[in-house]
Amino acid sequence: MVGQPEFVENPENRCPVILLVDTSSSMQGPPMAALNLGLEAFQDAILQDEQAALRVDVAIVSFGPVELVQDFVTIDHFVPPTLVAQGLTPMGEALTYALDLLEDRKQTYRTNGIQYYRPWVFLITDGAPNPTSPWQQAAQRIREAEAQRKMSFFAVGVQGADIYTLSQIAPVERPPLMLNGLDFRSMFLWLSDSMVRVSSSTVGGDMVALPPVGWGQIAT
Amino acid sequence: MAVSWKATVHSAMGTRHQQRGVPCQDYGDYVTRDASIVGAVADGAGSAKFSDIGAQLAVKTVLSNLEGWLARQSSLEQEVIESQVQSIFESALDATVLALDQEAQAGGYALRELGCTLLTFIATPTWIAAMQIGDGFIVAQTSEADPYQLLFQPEKGEYINETVFVTSEQALDAMQVVVKSGVQPLVCAATDGLEKVAIRFHDWQPHAPFFAPFKSCLQTMDVPEERQTYLETFLNSDRLNAKTDDDKTLLMCLCEQGP
Repeated sequence: MVGQPEFVENPENRCPVILLVDTSSSMQGPPMAALNLGLEAFQDAILQDEQAALRVDVAIVSFGPVELVQDFVTIDHFVPPTLVAQGLTPMGEALTYALDLLEDRKQTYRTNGIQYYRPWVFLITDGAPNPTSPWQQAAQRIREAEAQRKMSFFAVGVQGADIYTLSQIAPVERPPLMLNGLDFRSMFLWLSDSMVRVSSSTVGGDMVALPPVGWGQIAT
Repeated sequence: MAVSWKATVHSAMGTRHQQRGVPCQDYGDYVTRDASIVGAVADGAGSAKFSDIGAQLAVKTVLSNLEGWLARQSSLEQEVIESQVQSIFESALDATVLALDQEAQAGGYALRELGCTLLTFIATPTWIAAMQIGDGFIVAQTSEADPYQLLFQPEKGEYINETVFVTSEQALDAMQVVVKSGVQPLVCAATDGLEKVAIRFHDWQPHAPFFAPFKSCLQTMDVPEERQTYLETFLNSDRLNAKTDDDKTLLMCLCEQGP
């Protein structure tokens, strides 16, 4: 009688995403409430896909001031935080922080023999960087990282956002999007659908077809 | 001393492909000639439209090319293969890309739509020569007493969903070749759908309890259909599908020394 092959226990592949959320005081009230509900919808939607729940590795960085609200955690262990709006908009510092966080995470993956997908950095803001915030340097790093395919960067503006600055930060080939009203829910459902697609893509799936964006407009 | 090869191969569709109505894009096959065996497996690129055709054509072309090389040899001493290994596999790759290119022209589409990985080997009773472009794995044992060996680390980009295909410009640069001496009691070639359950990523070692049952299957089952059923049942098992949703191909070969 021939037995059955036994499997090696390799860690699950990871699909990292950093949510970089503006929590400056202008986000107070309905925007923050809608965003918090959106985070819950994001988790619920990914939990529907057993594999994606183990693979999508989310971190949340809020700014105003820069704070790691949630270090990387897979969706099955994620507890959506309730973000509170306060303070200014240190966007440049937050972008730099996120890029460093991402490189550290990749190093951890490599050290542990974990294979991973191209990370996403998802910036959500309703304002403009503080006048003293070094956002230009951060923008340059974003564009270099994007060109070197170190990550995919998405910028989403909420009503009141300084789209001119956002378009200086976002890569030319992926301009910032303006959110329709406060429809964070649709945005997060789109993000979860995209993450499910990316995290299930196999070899040669470099060009993952993303779902259509129904929650915002390309800002010009 | 009579030497013969027993081999079994199967490709099973991944569950993700079933859900999306995409055909199985893997292919694997082998030919035996005297005391040698030539085997190949290929995994069609998920993003390429006709990669199922590409994988099949690549495997068939490379097998016939390498079998042709075998037929022309008067001696299969290890020195012969060692001095020629790079050029043998380069011309096998050329022949494969040419066949794919002709197919693409005939079908009126771009060569990249036939993109696939390619892993192939020639094994004789005293050595194995192998080549790999892209991901997937070839595992062999150089003698009964030795542990299973992974011949190449799969060629991946930084990200798991990226690799090199025979149709890529970098195919030749990315082509890895090796010659190993030894009896090769067991040779297994597989596409990347099985990487995760068979190879420990931490140090790229084959997981022996994964491979041992295939060896005993080949040793104890003399009826080819019986071996085929064993392999097909495994590749379509829920237990495996719970771990991998990709297409998966396994070619297993055993060298038997007769009396």
